[in-house]
Amino acid sequence: MTADERSFMKSIFHGVIEESLIFPYPEMDPEERETVQMILENIQRFGESEVDAAKIDREHKIPDDLLTKMKEMGLFGLTIPEEHGGLGLSASAYARVIQEMAAIDASLAVTIGAHQSIGLKGILLHGTDEQKKQFLPDLATGERVAAFALTEPGTGSDAAAITTRAELTDDGQHYILNGSKIWITNGGFADVFTVFARTSAPDSGVKPRITALIVERGEGLTNGPSEEKMGIRGSSTTEIFFDDVKVPVENVLGEPGRGFKVAMSVLNSGRLGLASGALGAIKRLIQMSTERVNERKAFGRPIGEFGMIKEKIARMSAEAYALESMTYLTTGLIDAGVEDYSLESAICKVYGSETLWYVVNETLQIAAGIGYMSEYPYERLMRDARINMIFEGTNEILRAFIALAGMQSPGKHLAEVAKAMREPIKGFGLLREFAVQKARGLVLRERLERVHPVLSREAVIFEEGSVLLAQRVEQTLRKHGREIAEMQFVQKRIAEASIDLYALAAVLSRTTRALERKGEAGAQREVHLATAFSTLAKARIDDRLVNFERDSDELLKEVAAQTYADGGYAFDIV
Amino acid sequence: MKILVPVKRVADPDNANKMKVTADGSAVTSEGLAWKVNPFDEYAVEAALRLNEKGGSGDVLGETVVISLGDDEVIQTLRQPLAMGVDRAILVKASDGEIDSTVVAKALAAVVEKEQPDLVLMGKQAVDGDSNTAGQMLAEHLGWPMATFAMSIEVADDGKALVVGREVDTGVLTLKVTLPAVVTVDLRIVAPAAVKNGVTPDDHAYNEGARYASLKGIMKAKKKPVDQTSLSDLGVEASPLVEYTKYELPPARSGSATFVESVDELVEKLRTEAKVL
Repeated sequence: MTADERSFMKSIFHGVIEESLIFPYPEMDPEERETVQMILENIQRFGESEVDAAKIDREHKIPDDLLTKMKEMGLFGLTIPEEHGGLGLSASAYARVIQEMAAIDASLAVTIGAHQSIGLKGILLHGTDEQKKQFLPDLATGERVAAFALTEPGTGSDAAAITTRAELTDDGQHYILNGSKIWITNGGFADVFTVFARTSAPDSGVKPRITALIVERGEGLTNGPSEEKMGIRGSSTTEIFFDDVKVPVENVLGEPGRGFKVAMSVLNSGRLGLASGALGAIKRLIQMSTERVNERKAFGRPIGEFGMIKEKIARMSAEAYALESMTYLTTGLIDAGVEDYSLESAICKVYGSETLWYVVNETLQIAAGIGYMSEYPYERLMRDARINMIFEGTNEILRAFIALAGMQSPGKHLAEVAKAMREPIKGFGLLREFAVQKARGLVLRERLERVHPVLSREAVIFEEGSVLLAQRVEQTLRKHGREIAEMQFVQKRIAEASIDLYALAAVLSRTTRALERKGEAGAQREVHLATAFSTLAKARIDDRLVNFERDSDELLKEVAAQTYADGGYAFDIV
Repeated sequence: MKILVPVKRVADPDNANKMKVTADGSAVTSEGLAWKVNPFDEYAVEAALRLNEKGGSGDVLGETVVISLGDDEVIQTLRQPLAMGVDRAILVKASDGEIDSTVVAKALAAVVEKEQPDLVLMGKQAVDGDSNTAGQMLAEHLGWPMATFAMSIEVADDGKALVVGREVDTGVLTLKVTLPAVVTVDLRIVAPAAVKNGVTPDDHAYNEGARYASLKGIMKAKKKPVDQTSLSDLGVEASPLVEYTKYELPPARSGSATFVESVDELVEKLRTEAKVL
């Protein structure tokens, strides 16, 4: 296997620790770091002088002049190469900028994220030179804004259900596009859409061909009104309608019929923007919490002196450290040219969005009464945070993906998982490959040799956890074979253990770097965070993997089935 | 007009609590400190850019040059004014031990002789040493008119003079200085209408404070020239007059507050408890 095809997490499923992928912990080159520091300072200043997040939420709109200033600032061209008029930031630098924007306002981060993380990402990854020349310069300045249009009323991650149809004209020069997409971020004002449409007959027997198209706003393309949302209210979310929209064949992105591959590659990298955005919000919330616990007094002392508060603050910090470590490990993998980071980025999205939910909930709890009052920002930050567990793949489909893709060979993607969920038996034949493989970890415990000795206890938690994961996977596949595609209780436990293992690996790599740089005394705080996190992670991994086969799964399925049959909870005390 | 803006690199005042002194009090340790342009100097940069542009149009009316003294690391600090729109930078290489306000003023005077700016615009003082002397000494060396603590600047006499509002204890003192001149600025120079260059439309609304740099500006700043020279190149002797004998941190604040009901009670307490009256 060449270096580029390796995936750290997929190897872990096979009981192999590909240590060289994650050591040493990646870092930006000094020149880019200097540039990014300047960018961050100026974005903070921009946020302080221009952004009123409460007003954006209240008015459900980013003011037009603010949007113009964001474009002038250069925030729409972060990832576009300099030759096409952008800044050409690396994946790590881009993620760090999104982190900063999310700390200022979630609607702003989502707007520029939808433009760059997904809207124009397809053109960056799969566009031809002509397509890049044609579209990127205007997208870099924000003169035109991009959006990503995959979701339809009946489909999110399930490509086969796409009904928007693109039909080739008789002369073969155009596609005629008909259908609609829902919940499209930037839908109200975007000019360039990456659209996924069926280019084969809609009858169910035929394997659907999905094609990615670059569609410009013009005749036949309209959007619905802005949806009223719980949070990120300043961002534009609309339905998009295509009524005989004429799209030149030159606007096909990638190969015709290979659109799902385009969608998956875009979403794989897009998810990292969500993870770093979550981190930005988390860091701000921890700052709000620490201010609050020093100010607020109860029983004659600051509430920060109470153990229950300390436990919250400490856990928030430890989980933030893990999220930061895994997010920038993954962007570092991308910048190093690793091609398969689908599992890692899905892990970052799930862990990031759920850690944010935990942190925003605890921050609101610490603020207590004022936390619940709309006069204060807590409830808005909570509403803004909630979407992250839903969009760009719900955390449930991503858990299934993490578990199932991990059990397959490297190189397999969500496409196969979606297929497996649609047709469990036919679609998951690939699993046999795994079952017959000799998983090395079962015979020989692999070691993390490059972890600093100070962290040896934490390294053992990782090593034992990864051996246990490989064993559980192997045992499950031997016993259940393809049925695993239907065993979501088990998938969930495997996915959750994988998330903590990846977090742990990232923490070990980053903390080792800190120890090597600063010595034991200098890196003491990082070591404390690493130890605190590994204690939390170990408890969760043990819970998922030690007690792995559970009779209660069947019982719970039965309870669910009965509740469905009753149409709700059927009991009462009167 | 051509404007020279001297700027000093200082420890980020927002992180001043990281400042430490060595055990023997012989030095301040700089470990872990973040560096920034002295805020008052950044206000001078903002004022210079406002003087030298037609606000809102992107048109530039004159050259703006920043200058600093220090080691190579200072170049990174100079990138911020360059990213904000300053045309080029000059670094006079020197170590901290070689310079005080007197040496700085002599070095600046030597650079002014070479560069021949119409105006030297600088912060009233640096937030680390708070000496508030370099501008005044420079004007003396050059024999130029001087206006300190500027809170407003208006171009007058077809660009041959400036009308400067100076913030003093008793109010605002307005005076006219003939160019070339040295002007030092105070905080309010970055109020939205503090600078009038006669070209920018009066209704152009500047933001409060120094401008942020666009990301394009930051990329461009990497390519803008930073000319390097040295004290000896300028013929200035590195012989500071100020000698630092000992450093110590200020005592920690007690943080206790007493609330009073009336002004009389306040005066009484200030007299008897705080003993400051």
